[in-house]
Formats: sequence, structure tokens, C-alpha cells
Amino acid sequence: MNERPNILFINTDQHSWDAISAYGNPFLRTPNIDELHRNGTSFRRSFCTDPVCAAARSSWATGLYTSETGVPFNGGYLRSEIPDLGQLLNAGGYQAFHCGKWHVPGRDVRESFQTLYYGQQDIGAGGAAYYDSASTHAVAGFLTNYDSDDPFYLQIGYVDPHDVCEYLHNHEEKQIPNPLEQGIVSEDDLPPLPENFDYDERETVLHRVCRRVDDALIHAAILKEVRDWDEFHWRYLRWNYYRFIEKVDAEIGRVLTLLRETSRHHNTLIIFSADHGEACGSHQMFQKFTLYEESVRVPFIVACLGDNVPVEKDRFDETHFVSGVDLFPTVCDYAGIDVPEGIQGLSVRSLVEGKDVPWRDCAYIESNYWGRAIVTDRYKYVTEYKPKAVEDFQPPGPNTDQLGLAQLFDRQNDPGETENLAGNPTYDEVVKVCRNKLFAQEARLHRQQIVHPSPKQVISNWGDRLRTYWADGG
Amino acid sequence: MNDSNSLHWSFDYNYGAQNPQFAQELIGTLRGYDPEVAIRGTQTPQTITHVYNVLPNYWRGYSRGGDTETLRIGTAVIERRKNDNLWHYSVKYENTTSGENLQMQFCCSDENYRPLRSNWSINVRNSAGDEYSQLTCTGYLASDSEVRLRINGNPEIAAGRMSASVKLTCNWALFDVIPTLARTIQASGDGVDIAVLEDLEQLRLKSKLGFLESIQTPIPLDGYYLYGAGLLPSYWWLDGHGDVAIVSTFFETLVLREKMGEDV
Repeated sequence: MNERPNILFINTDQHSWDAISAYGNPFLRTPNIDELHRNGTSFRRSFCTDPVCAAARSSWATGLYTSETGVPFNGGYLRSEIPDLGQLLNAGGYQAFHCGKWHVPGRDVRESFQTLYYGQQDIGAGGAAYYDSASTHAVAGFLTNYDSDDPFYLQIGYVDPHDVCEYLHNHEEKQIPNPLEQGIVSEDDLPPLPENFDYDERETVLHRVCRRVDDALIHAAILKEVRDWDEFHWRYLRWNYYRFIEKVDAEIGRVLTLLRETSRHHNTLIIFSADHGEACGSHQMFQKFTLYEESVRVPFIVACLGDNVPVEKDRFDETHFVSGVDLFPTVCDYAGIDVPEGIQGLSVRSLVEGKDVPWRDCAYIESNYWGRAIVTDRYKYVTEYKPKAVEDFQPPGPNTDQLGLAQLFDRQNDPGETENLAGNPTYDEVVKVCRNKLFAQEARLHRQQIVHPSPKQVISNWGDRLRTYWADGG
Repeated sequence: MNDSNSLHWSFDYNYGAQNPQFAQELIGTLRGYDPEVAIRGTQTPQTITHVYNVLPNYWRGYSRGGDTETLRIGTAVIERRKNDNLWHYSVKYENTTSGENLQMQFCCSDENYRPLRSNWSINVRNSAGDEYSQLTCTGYLASDSEVRLRINGNPEIAAGRMSASVKLTCNWALFDVIPTLARTIQASGDGVDIAVLEDLEQLRLKSKLGFLESIQTPIPLDGYYLYGAGLLPSYWWLDGHGDVAIVSTFFETLVLREKMGEDV
């Protein structure tokens, strides 16, 4: 490759790692994402930095974890001094474009990117039914008209399958009969319940307060209705989720076709990923916000439909832990741009080219400000920090004294994460090793005090609730 | 029905945060539509026009900053006239949330399934204010049953292929297909197979039209559904005059506001 490539970052929203037909999922058809896989390397150990939109996207934009960016929730606010990818690319001779969902509060996308399309009122969290087709139209116009000699970087933020959230919201305050009663699908049409539908109730306090209790901090109204669901409601949720993915796959297909027809495919690197996953019935859970696999594990494909960008094709990388923080340095690597000091991510370029390079031995994930997870070859360790007695808005860690409850899963023997081994003395040493990895990673972070009133308010409110639970004995 | 005070679950989005109330606006729109007056209100001879208000389900936040007197976030206008055994459609769909204003022109054979005929066109204007301002797209069915599109005058692209036996129509022609096929669908049990070229761009094969149920609230309505690969289920409700009065997905609801023209 003599010239710097165009770079196309296609992202979907709430797309679990295994909801791709090329990965063996028989319940949906994704011929276009499958094409990306055939023309690239799929990282199977790919994890978001934080399983909620704005937080995960702040990591894409900066190469930092969410305790560094100032965006630990959707209500966060990206710190103004942190450079973003668009700013670096523009300074480095690229034409940096954005289209579709951005959702990095605190940073005006139009100040960092040339914006093709961002909705009539700026795209928020959801709304694929309105925005995704328009995004494809905008990209079609771009690909058929771009005539600069400069290479381009284009990030396309599709909203689907996030509209599964709208599907769930539709169930608030009303009863929708299960699909068999509706008569529109047969039982044979529906995917089965996930094998990990049942779960171990020994979860962290943070998890229970956010997602399980009657007055759960996140979407309690949906939870109230979901509790009355029968098996077919759950299976119909899964059926619908896969339809959302098929819809966005078709949009991606249009982009890939246009890339070929405009002959840009040979010199365009394509990265495909998602901000976070979707529980889709696993652990009797819906949406994201948890540290379970379905919520945090996402697709990450690096591909080229042509020949000019060296990419190992039709290959699964089952070994390397890839994180949302890796997007930033990977793009910079291909663009020939130096990354700022302090970036947490690593460029996957060498891995994509089939080279053996030193790599991290675990994935690190944050959630809901206080939640943490470490994923190793064999185990996943989930834990939480207790809220401080007096909140100082400094993201917690590493601090043994402040740790709350833990969950430990054997990823080899229990890939569905259904048995918490953390209380079993046999695994005390495993927990200790994982905790050391957690603290080692946290020691490398440049955690920044939250200063914006919006996330501070969330931390205060949620912290009060969590303290109540801890005061009651957890 | 959930209870005597509620609408049907497929279009009952009277969520507490919505103000004005969804049900109030839906029923008000339907009551404002008088089919007897509508049939007399002919515009162009042999042209039939249906006008629908687009309401957001669940959350009006998608229309942030819009009109506070109504939930309406868009309008769909479907015009068609019959000429030489072809139905000529002109559809305008304006959505103030996306900013897109689509104008679609296409023809269908005068058959129950309204099979789509070559050629068709889509013109899109976008008012959202960023670089994307317009798009033109023309399409046709190639002899090998491949859907081909030409975007902004550039080389053609393939948009999907189907077997020659597939009954392909446009989703906007379903406003006529479902009333025409109503009895067939009701008698079919498992529904009838159909393929849809959504907005004349996205091919949705392996779709099915079926009968849902009949209800009395807010007016007597017969319900049908459409679902299939790559499609979100949608529910189509016919009034006593055979007009599609309500179309609802999980996301938005189209409500019949006005009809003009004589039935042919």
C-alpha cells in the first residue's frame, strides 16, 4: 500500500457479538456483514469499554476508558481538553466525515467532522426507523460525489438494532399479547430461549439496583411489564431483535455496493463494530447496562473489499482481546498519524496483517461508574465499588477497601455465565489474580474528576440509592 | 383489547409522557375524516388520494422542538390513477424528524397484488441542514428479476434478486393491495406470501400478509399484519369503507386524515 487508505468505520448500535449469520447464528441473515467477515478479520474477543451508548462512543472518539473521558453514562459530558479522532484526522491531512448517530455528549460533532447527516434535530439515542435510511442516502451522495485528492475517513453511525429499545418501551403501561396469541408467527418461527435464560441471583448490588429491583434505576417501567412475560414474549423479543439487525444489514449492503461501484473499495479500509450488545433474554435481562457477555461483547471486523490494503481475510481471531479503545489508535495507525500521549488503546493493524505482536492478556470494562469487569482467557471477574461516604466525583479505583460484591464465571465451562464462583473458596486465588489485573489496569488510567453538573447529578442520585442498599446489608 | 377504555395494543401508545395524548389525537384525526364527504371531494377525475398523519409511538422526543399542539411528525400522501391497465402512483412522504421529504413515482399492473412495473423513481430532499441535501434514484426490474438502481445518475447497482415467480409490490401499494385481497387474506389461514420493495429501494423477500382480528374501538376496523425477513411487523387496519385507516409499527402510526377521489 503506497497511499494512505480511505477509512470507513461502520458502526451499529446494541449489536451483540454473535448476531451475525457468518458466525453461525441460524436465526437471522446478515449477508452484508458476512461479506465484511469474508473480506477481513473478525475479532471474536472484542469488548466494548462500557455497555451504554454515550460512554462506549466516548471511548471510540478518544481511545480512553470512560472513567477518563467524563462520560460514564449517557448523561456524561466529554472533557473539553481531550482531543477526538476527527480533530486528529483533520490535522493529519484526512477529510474526516461523520454521518448518523454520534451521541458523545459534550462534543459537537460538527466541530470535529464534516457532517453529512445528523437528523433534523440531531440524532439522540434511538430512532433507526427515521435515521438509518437517511444516513445511507447521505452516504450514497457522498460516495458518488467525493472528488478530493485527500483520503477520507467516514464514520457511519447506524442506529439499529437499538430500536429494540423502542420495541421494549412499547410494552410500558400496556399488555401486548404474545405472538402466538397475535397469530402472526408460529412457534417454529421463534428462536428458542437462550441457554442462559436462568441466572445466578448472586449478582453485584450495583447490578441489582440498576436492573433487578422493583424501582430499578434503569427502565423500571419496562421491567415491570417484562416480569409478566411468558416464554413466547421473550422469544418474540429475540425474533424482533434479529429483524432489526437484518434491516441495518441491508443498509450496510447498500454502502458496500456503492463502494464497489465507485471503485473505492480497493483502497478503503473498513472497520465494523458496535458500541455495546443486547441481553436479548439472557439472564432474563433486556437491553444493555450490565457486564454480562451479551451486553459487553461486540463484533469487531477489519476488512478491505479490494486488494490494496493488506488484511487477512475470512479469518477469526480467537486469541486477542480487543476493546473499544482500540478504534482510535487503529485508525491513526492506518492514517499515519501519531496518537496523543496517554491513549489506552492499541492498534490492531499488526494483528489484521497476521503479525504476532505483544498484546494485552485481558479485557477491561467499566459500567455505570462503579462497575468493573476483567475478562481473561478462562474467567470473567465482575465487581463493583461501593459509593463513597462523601462523593468526590473522582471515578473509583483501584481500592481494595472500597470493593463491593463480585461475580466470577468460568468462561470455558460456563460460557453463559450462569454460576457465580466468586464465593467458592476454590476460586479465591483466581479472584485474587483477576483483582490484581483490574487494579493494574486501573493504575494505568488517568481518571478524571467528573466536573459537569449532569453526570454529577446522576452519580449523586444513584449513589444515594446504592448507599441505602449497602446500609441494609447489600 | 386491553380493557374497555383502551385502543388496540397495536396502536395504543397513550404513554403517560406524551402530551398531547396519542389516543386523543388518533381518534380526533379519524373522526375528522368523513368518508362520505371525502368521496364527493374529487380532485382530478379517476385520481384517488389518501392523506395520512404520521404520529410517533411512545416518545415524541423524536420531534424535539416541533409543534406543541400536535404529535404529528409527518405526512404521507398517496395518489394513484388508473391508465391503460396500469396504476400510476405518486407518493409523498415527509418526516420532520429525519428531515427527509421523499417523492416516489411508480407503476403497478392492475392486478390484485399490484405487481411493480419498471421504471420507478425516488427524489429525496433533506432539510436537516448538513451536507446531504438531495438524492435521486431510478430503478427498474431487469429481465433476470434483479432489482437495479441508479443513484445520482451514477452506474447502476444491484439491489437484490428474486425468482421470477415472486409477487413483488411496493409497500405504498399495500394501501390498495390489502383492501383488494382482504377476503383472500382472511380465508388463507396462514396468510399470503408477498415480496415488498420498501420505499422502492430495499427488497424484502419472504414476507407475509395475514388477518389479525376485527375490533370495534375506536371505529369498526379489520386488522391485518405484514411481517417477514428484514421487516418489522406492521399492522394495517381497514375501516368499513375498505380504506386503510391506521397503519402501525412499534415505532410510528399513520392515521387517515383525508381521502379524495372516486373509487374506480
